[in-house]
Amino acid sequence: MRSAKFLSRRLQATLPVAWLLASAAAVAQGGPFEQWLDVPMPPGFRVENTELEGPVFADRDGRTLYEWPLHVQRNGYSGESPDTPACYDEVLTVTAGLMSPYPPGIVLPELETRPSCTDLWPPAYADADAKPVGDWSIVERRDGTRQWAYAEQPLYTSVRDAEPGDTLGGSKRPYGGDSPAYRVPIGPPPAVPPGFAVRTTSTGRMLTTDRNDSVYAYEGDAPDASNCRGECERRFRPLLAPALARSFGEWTILARSPGVRQWVYRGEPLYTFALDEHSWSQQGSDEPGWHNVYTQKAPPFPASFTVQATIVGDVLADQRGMTIYVYQCGDDSQDQLSCDHPDDTQIYRLAMCGGGDPKRCLEYWPYVRAADHETGGSRTWSVIGIDPATGHKAKPEQADAIRVWAFRDRPIYTYAGDRQPGDTHGDGTGEWRGQRNGLRGFWLRNDMLEGPR
Amino acid sequence: MKRSARIAVAATAVILTGTAAADDGALRDGRIAYVMTNLFWSVYQTEDAKDECPRGFNDGPREQFAKLFPKPEGMTVEETQLRQEIETWHPTSEPDGFEFYEVEGRYSWGLDLDGEASPEDFTHPDGGEGIDNQVYRAVGCIIGFRGPDGVEFIFQDKAIMDERYNRMMIELSGVDSLDNDDEVSVSLYRGLDRLLTDATGEKVMPGGSQRVDARWGASLIRHTTGRIVDGVLSTEPIPEVVIPWQNLRVASVHLIRDLRFVLDLAPEGATGLVAGYADVDTWYRQLIRNDSTHHLSNGQISGISLYKALRRLADAYPDPVTGENTAISTALDVKMAQVFVVHPGGEQDGGAGVTR
Repeated sequence: MRSAKFLSRRLQATLPVAWLLASAAAVAQGGPFEQWLDVPMPPGFRVENTELEGPVFADRDGRTLYEWPLHVQRNGYSGESPDTPACYDEVLTVTAGLMSPYPPGIVLPELETRPSCTDLWPPAYADADAKPVGDWSIVERRDGTRQWAYAEQPLYTSVRDAEPGDTLGGSKRPYGGDSPAYRVPIGPPPAVPPGFAVRTTSTGRMLTTDRNDSVYAYEGDAPDASNCRGECERRFRPLLAPALARSFGEWTILARSPGVRQWVYRGEPLYTFALDEHSWSQQGSDEPGWHNVYTQKAPPFPASFTVQATIVGDVLADQRGMTIYVYQCGDDSQDQLSCDHPDDTQIYRLAMCGGGDPKRCLEYWPYVRAADHETGGSRTWSVIGIDPATGHKAKPEQADAIRVWAFRDRPIYTYAGDRQPGDTHGDGTGEWRGQRNGLRGFWLRNDMLEGPR
Repeated sequence: MKRSARIAVAATAVILTGTAAADDGALRDGRIAYVMTNLFWSVYQTEDAKDECPRGFNDGPREQFAKLFPKPEGMTVEETQLRQEIETWHPTSEPDGFEFYEVEGRYSWGLDLDGEASPEDFTHPDGGEGIDNQVYRAVGCIIGFRGPDGVEFIFQDKAIMDERYNRMMIELSGVDSLDNDDEVSVSLYRGLDRLLTDATGEKVMPGGSQRVDARWGASLIRHTTGRIVDGVLSTEPIPEVVIPWQNLRVASVHLIRDLRFVLDLAPEGATGLVAGYADVDTWYRQLIRNDSTHHLSNGQISGISLYKALRRLADAYPDPVTGENTAISTALDVKMAQVFVVHPGGEQDGGAGVTR
């Protein structure tokens, strides 16, 4: 099977030493990482800390596990129903017509090199003697092989991941209804008390209430003393712990006054901001001394990058202040294969950025070049070589390769239509408002387009 | 057609929905402010569209795709879908093979922006000549732009309620009376707050408050002057106004040159027109960034064909190199509700902290 060939090649290339070294490096460069609640796991399976997604489940080789949830499209569904694998080793040849107005049955690009679903998403096979444990179960694939499932969703690994702790195959960040049916890394529940939640954002794993209200802390507080009283207390509302709540892990409890108990996380008493306009807000952090609380911050972006204010909010920008964009792409096959990575077909991207002409792409949507002295500082931000004529990764020693910055191993871009810092005229360029074959701004904060709380 | 700073006869151009009330209760210390609750391209519509669109409505992407590729099975994505997307995102003014139905009627809402009555100009339903509104000529026979159920019409009305991004408002200061005043100051701001509505949540009520967005919206602030005659405010043109405009949560804008307001003022609200010359490329990209080909299809809006029409009908601001016009005359219907404006720090341009 093609999937077996792909899997074997990648394992040979990555497993022996790099796997273990990288795992140690991942822990060393970050921190603090998000803590999680222990849950039963199959023998040998483990939890890996990741830079962007917090703790994720990994198989016995440390490879991140992904699910493919059912996702409503405009003209049907893609993804997997519970206990029902839908990712196989057939190479699909035509579109599914899931996204109007284009009909099904149109021949997909580059069939001669098109991968199958399992080429990109090797199933997490279960041994013959494997047994269900906790929320982990075993589903039978149509060829009779056994596949691990978690919470009834069949599990896969990603060929994009090269080291333990990689999540290059997908993200937990919420995606819109018109996005492709993404694969999503899975993990254990975060170690937060009832009433709290954690969400992956561009700035980190943001701690919120279970109603999606942002959680804040004040630099003037101490673990055992809140200095937010009186008028402050009306603006920042202490997050109160119920009478039966007990300290655990990184969570303690502060007695604000007799019978009034406030949650404290990592030594910081917690609050919500009464004037927040929307969920997952950062508005409270504009108040002097206050900041959003994260279980872990996103890795710092490259030192040469800047943050620019726009009429929406803050956007990541290059050293000239020009807005940075990320390309997103999923095809219209039933497999919903990605087309946003340099190893994927470039047919879609070249159509959007340059009308099919690589040279026009370089002019209209130039890569964010890395200076000679710049190197990637994390798994998240890296410097990769790109073949400018194809958009694929350059071959080693390729003379005309260009060094570009990549986010999650995917190049980032600026837009020629942006004339000055703060312009975001490229945002939403491409099919489905840039969600399926197009470009979106790298938003760090979009106060003016978050919708009501 | 050359552009001009001269304002047309305002009284004939306003969509009159009422008259200024004798009770100017919301006018305090010579100030009153209004927040936009509806803003959409002014489209003059007759029953059955027989007058303005005698040949019917334009096809959209779905219809054009079916005509171009009657049997798409066996064709490639590059030959079909991506070909159309490339035409959408990299448009040209070259013909696309489809006949485009422009508005053919005589009448249009709008203003005489240039002080001339040219053959391509419309006549106002009240009889005024020289109405410049070539955006109407381009979109008037596209069902998505026609009220009350065109997809663009619906989405824009909804978006202006849902998000603060396009919370634009004007503040009048130095006002002696809402009936007549030879000179008033007019400032354009973005607000930071949700609209005050009645218990249904659907109807915007006067008397809400809006904080001025002096941070993210600082670049949107504009100032001009105007005068009030018989309850109608007419402003001097503002050279360049950026209007935040999103209908499907992509932060896009319209760029309008020589923008002026003509508003029928009342203590509880204002109604009228915003008019000027829209930058063609900005106008087009706003549309296609927010509306996918699917959404365009719902309104039978072929971005490909419409871009060519906009280019063809553009009537102002010629490119200094090519001579091709880069802007197109337009008018928008606007409705506003009275609000109390809260300026940052309690001060604004030396004015009072709160407009009450």
